[in-house]
Amino acid sequence: MSVFSSIPKTAPFSEEDVDLLNRVVGPATAVQRAWLAGFLAGVEAANSGEAVHAAAPPRAAEPLTIVYASESGNSEKLAADMAKAARKLGFKPAVVDMAELELSTLTKAKRLVVIAATWGEGDPPARAVRVYNELMGEGAPRLDGVEFGVLALGDTAYADFCGVGKKIDERLEALGGKRVATRVDCDLDFAEPAGQWIDGALKALAPAGLNQAKVISVDFSGKPHAAANTDIVEAEVIEHVNLNSSRSGKETIHLALGFDGAAPAYEPGASLDLYPENDPAYVDEFLKLAGVTDDALRHEFLTARDVTTLSVKAIENYAAATGHQYVKKLIADGEARDWVNGRQLIDLVGTFPISLDAERLRALTRPLAPRAYSIASSRKDVGEEAHLLVSAVRYGSHGRDRKGVASNYVAERLRRGARVRVKLKPNKHFGLPLPDKDIIMVGPGTGVAPFRAFVQERRAIGATGKNWLFFGDRAFRDDFLYQLDWQDALKDGALARMDLAFSRDRLDKVYVQHKIWEQRKDVVDWLENGAHFYVCGDAKSMAKDVQATLAKAYADVKGLSAEGAEQAVAALERDKRYLQDVY
Amino acid sequence: MADKKNELTAMEHLKARSRYLRGDLAADMADPMTGGVSEDSQQLLKFHGMYLQDDRDLRPERAKKKMEKAFGFMIRIRLPGGVITPKQWLALDDVARTYAGDTLRLTTRQTFQLHGVLKFNVKTALKAINAVALDTIAACGDDNRGVMAVANPHQSKIHALAYELANRASAHFKPQTHAYYEIFLDGEKVAGEGERDDVEPIYGKTYLPRKFKIGFAVPPSNDIDVFAQDLGFIAIVGKKGEIEGWNVAVGGGMGMTHGEPETYPRTGDVLGFCRTEDLMKVAEAVVTIQRDWGDRTNRKHARLKYTLDDNGADKFRAEIARRAGKPLEKARPYAFTSNGDRYGWTQGENGKYHLTLFVENGRLRDFPGGPQLMTGMRRIAEVHEGEIRITPNQNLIIANVADDQRADIEKLAAEHGLAGQAGALRRNAMACVALPTCGLALAESERYLPSLITKLEERLAAHGLANEDITLRMTGCPNGCARPYIAEIALVGKGPGRYNLYLGAAFDGSRLNKLYAEDLDDAGIVAALDPIFAAYAAKREKGEHFGDFCVRAGYVAKTVNGLDFHANVRVPAAAAG
Ligand code: SRM
Ligand SMILES: Cc1cc2nc3c(=O)[nH]c(=O)nc-3n(C[C@H](O)[C@H](O)[C@H](O)COP(=O)(O)OP(=O)(O)OC[C@H]3O[C@@H](n4cnc5c(N)ncnc54)[C@H](O)[C@@H]3O)c2cc1C
Ligand SMILES: Cc1cc2nc3c(=O)[nH]c(=O)nc-3n(C[C@H](O)[C@H](O)[C@H](O)COP(=O)(O)O)c2cc1C
Ligand code: SF4
Repeated sequence: MSVFSSIPKTAPFSEEDVDLLNRVVGPATAVQRAWLAGFLAGVEAANSGEAVHAAAPPRAAEPLTIVYASESGNSEKLAADMAKAARKLGFKPAVVDMAELELSTLTKAKRLVVIAATWGEGDPPARAVRVYNELMGEGAPRLDGVEFGVLALGDTAYADFCGVGKKIDERLEALGGKRVATRVDCDLDFAEPAGQWIDGALKALAPAGLNQAKVISVDFSGKPHAAANTDIVEAEVIEHVNLNSSRSGKETIHLALGFDGAAPAYEPGASLDLYPENDPAYVDEFLKLAGVTDDALRHEFLTARDVTTLSVKAIENYAAATGHQYVKKLIADGEARDWVNGRQLIDLVGTFPISLDAERLRALTRPLAPRAYSIASSRKDVGEEAHLLVSAVRYGSHGRDRKGVASNYVAERLRRGARVRVKLKPNKHFGLPLPDKDIIMVGPGTGVAPFRAFVQERRAIGATGKNWLFFGDRAFRDDFLYQLDWQDALKDGALARMDLAFSRDRLDKVYVQHKIWEQRKDVVDWLENGAHFYVCGDAKSMAKDVQATLAKAYADVKGLSAEGAEQAVAALERDKRYLQDVY
Repeated sequence: MADKKNELTAMEHLKARSRYLRGDLAADMADPMTGGVSEDSQQLLKFHGMYLQDDRDLRPERAKKKMEKAFGFMIRIRLPGGVITPKQWLALDDVARTYAGDTLRLTTRQTFQLHGVLKFNVKTALKAINAVALDTIAACGDDNRGVMAVANPHQSKIHALAYELANRASAHFKPQTHAYYEIFLDGEKVAGEGERDDVEPIYGKTYLPRKFKIGFAVPPSNDIDVFAQDLGFIAIVGKKGEIEGWNVAVGGGMGMTHGEPETYPRTGDVLGFCRTEDLMKVAEAVVTIQRDWGDRTNRKHARLKYTLDDNGADKFRAEIARRAGKPLEKARPYAFTSNGDRYGWTQGENGKYHLTLFVENGRLRDFPGGPQLMTGMRRIAEVHEGEIRITPNQNLIIANVADDQRADIEKLAAEHGLAGQAGALRRNAMACVALPTCGLALAESERYLPSLITKLEERLAAHGLANEDITLRMTGCPNGCARPYIAEIALVGKGPGRYNLYLGAAFDGSRLNKLYAEDLDDAGIVAALDPIFAAYAAKREKGEHFGDFCVRAGYVAKTVNGLDFHANVRVPAAAAG
């Protein structure tokens, strides 16, 4: 219980002011004083992100380490928001990307927050893999006494929901850490729960002193914690072409977007979040199976709700809402997890029909999330346009033809002249190096999109560094995306080299990693000379195979041991010369 | 390439500097960014039996999709006399299924074409082909093309001889350069061959001025259309069935260009007779005369037929005598009855049987829900112990079948729709490939003729002519790949959906036809022919063929030879808009 001691004459105020302040602050209640502390810290925080500690409350600022493991930036943004809030409470937060974390430093950290996303199929974000494995491995340092809390980001659509956050949470405890804030697992609509968790966690982590003087956090930004840092804008489709030949089994749309006025100020490597609408045919059948006719709901389902994703959670809600015997049994028998595989909400209401009212049906759905698409153009080349390369996701499962929501919204329903809502997603972890640096780009399939932006950009600015592209797809004649662009780039020098891997039109299936292996000597030479290495596209297998191949290449070319080669690649990652944007 | 007067064509310069057909082919074939090759390489490819083509059906979409043309290679097999073993057949079937869209195309010169082979698969495909002792050398290009020989071997001895001579001619005039093996089969380089002068004893560095074609006919069958060959040999058979020797026909050819009367089809002239032992000398004389006298300044005037008309038969005959070291004897009498095929079984003098199967337009494919021709032939090749022959009419002969195997073969053929009953007009018809692969096509041909024939056969039936043998040939442009100008009815592509109609050729392929109507569309063709069919049914003399009738009845004037092909044309102002 700290009693208020009057403001010393030495304070940087005139004597009158000191008296004035003492008169006001002296009789103030703890709450008033805390508010004032928060207010002053907040003013500073709002004005200049930096100078906050200068405006720290009376006692020495409390260090707080906030680690984030992020791929598409959500966790990173939340980490920044949390740091901001923490400063107002008198913490001295340090925000660290897990990719750059030195585990040993954690032992000294008194307070630790980890905000982690899960990717691939239960994997850490690409950048964080190395450190994540260290943390899980034998060599991880003890963290006795470290107070920690974990916020997990994920998507209930995936079997391993928030798997990474969960594992980190367990691991920190196993290493001796002291959990002071219980983990929360966020779905795609994470803004609310994440914001609340942050407030709660900060209170829990606050040291004794701050704890009693209950600080009222004052929000000056006016935005919710996880609010977007860029706004949703409406764009017009000015070009819509399927780049695959009519003989191809694939459909990949080149989508050129125009804007009323300037395009969002994107840099090469950025993506656009695209806000899709659901397939009317699907929505109508879904409503029909559920026996619901409600125009308002139909409209909302079309434009604002995720009516396809089936999660275990949704099955449980359904069981609760309907009391359906078989659904209950499904859960009781622990078969729900398997049942969701390859199925959608429509299978649930279709297989276990039972009359539902609009409200309960709506309760099964979650907000419709946007989908990210790498920008395939450079403003220096295309002006106020943004190009996307969208591959239509189609597959069959359990006797139904399934269509990816956003990609088929683009492929089947967007047409030249149509309008679509998008939001810029900058990616400062996947940008171009200095113009004189060489780059190697590995982008099979739609992974090639950002590299079209890279090549356009570097041509436009007359970059002197050499550009080498590895591309691959199914068939040369039917699936060579942007073939004419690449032929031109090789002619005018915007590309120094291009290696191709097609897998379905010759006897020996060739993939990009095979080409990298074939060219391993030159690849390693380029990297030795400071080249940056980029990988974009499929995370499940391609990105992993490429990384493994690069390690093998180092081992072979430089005669290194397996570990030595691993370290060589790890070193590239640490120098930020091995960059990935995989999905 | 624009041919300027008295200057060698660009093609001649290319051949001269190509180091015996090498040029930049190796590098172009290896370039991974494009499915095509450079202009020059495209020309050189032909000498190696290949054409760079693109799927013309896809042209409209390609640029929009930011893709180059849908390039594919056409590969043509060198198959003298059209004879192939079942083992070789199975190998080609495999290649077609793996690299060429599950289809094989029988050609009007008794061989196979594969289409749409991706550049990056060409070498593998050629290796598979060469592995069964087949190759593609000189199947195209300015050289001696595939040599033809009468297909149906029922007169065993004489046909065996014709076939043997076809093989010898093909081998004798085969380019000697190793370029083919170096570039496509990873054969080891022959050091400095490109710089030597003695690599091509017959051709020299610039080969021939233009393509050159040889064929061997055995009367009464003119199935090979001996008068359409640059150099044709007609077997002269003595009373006792012994072979006396060969009449020599020179200067046949079909190709012409719309609106360029200085280009014309021509039937060969029978210049004389030679004995079998002198035949190769005579052949070499004719080939080298064309090499030395042929016009290398204008490719549209470079074929032997023009060389002959420019120099005259007497001068030409004398030069043959000089080069062959012996004059030709006086031509001997012979008689052809038709240029078509005899379908069904025939028995050879050797006691073996030959089954001729009709293959519409030579297209072998498993038609979805229709005849399974590719598979059917594969099954037959798996059990057949004789050989398989391709006829000059794009059909097939399962040859030398033992009596006890006829049933099996017949069963397989029937099961797979290979023994289908086609109408008389269809059986006597041919269409060239044309769209979508042929770069020169002005109109559809192979893909269109079948439906047109259905309509024409209706009309014929209406006039009681359902079983008349009438030859009908269609080409997608005036180059004449289906030898249209010696068909009783010819339809030659003029533009999309538009054809010129020619009438009045002889049933045995000995006389050219003449232009009757221009720019006809589908309805126009039927409308133009229907009344003539009616008149033919009513007014024909006994045994009179349709072509002869058209001349006698005055629908067209008789064409004596190439030089008057464009003369005496009385086309009613372009029919059917
Ligand atoms: C496949 C075939 C037609 C068929 O349906 O079977 C064919 C197909 C082509 N012919 Fe032919 N010709 C074919 C027999 C003929 C014949 C008939 C014959 O030789 O008995 C002729 C008329 C006889 C003659 O040579 O005069 C013929 C006269 C031409 C010409 C015109 C030549 C001329 O001197 O005027 C061309 C164009 C050229 O050479 O400039 C040509 C060119 C072509 C090309 C290669 C088009 C090109 O040059 O780009 C065609 C390829 C189409 C494709 O997609 O396959 N083709 N071509 C025949 C292959 C024969 C073989 O196995 O070698
Ligand atoms: C940073 C980033 C950049 C991206 N860039 C691009 C890009 O440039 N181009 C591009 O095309 N995409 C890109 N994507 C992927 C894109 O965001 C979408 O994920 C993709 O288009 C699918 O979305 P959808 O709405 O069409 O499919 P959804 O409706 O989201 O359905 C996808 C889901 O369907 C299921 N599924 C898919 N295939 C099968 C199958 N064969 N069997 C069983 N289930 C299956 C899976 O559960 C999958 O999660 C990117 C993603 C990220 C994160
Ligand atoms: C390709 C891809 C794979 C994903 N895999 C999973 C997963 O296996 N489990 C999960 O809970 N969430 C998964 N997610 C959802 C992400 O974790 C979620 O979008 C999160 O908000 C991303 O946070 P970040 O921007 O910090 O990377 C996946 C998302 C994408 C695009
Ligand atoms: S006739 Fe003309 S269209 Fe037909 S294959 Fe020959 S060149 Fe092509």
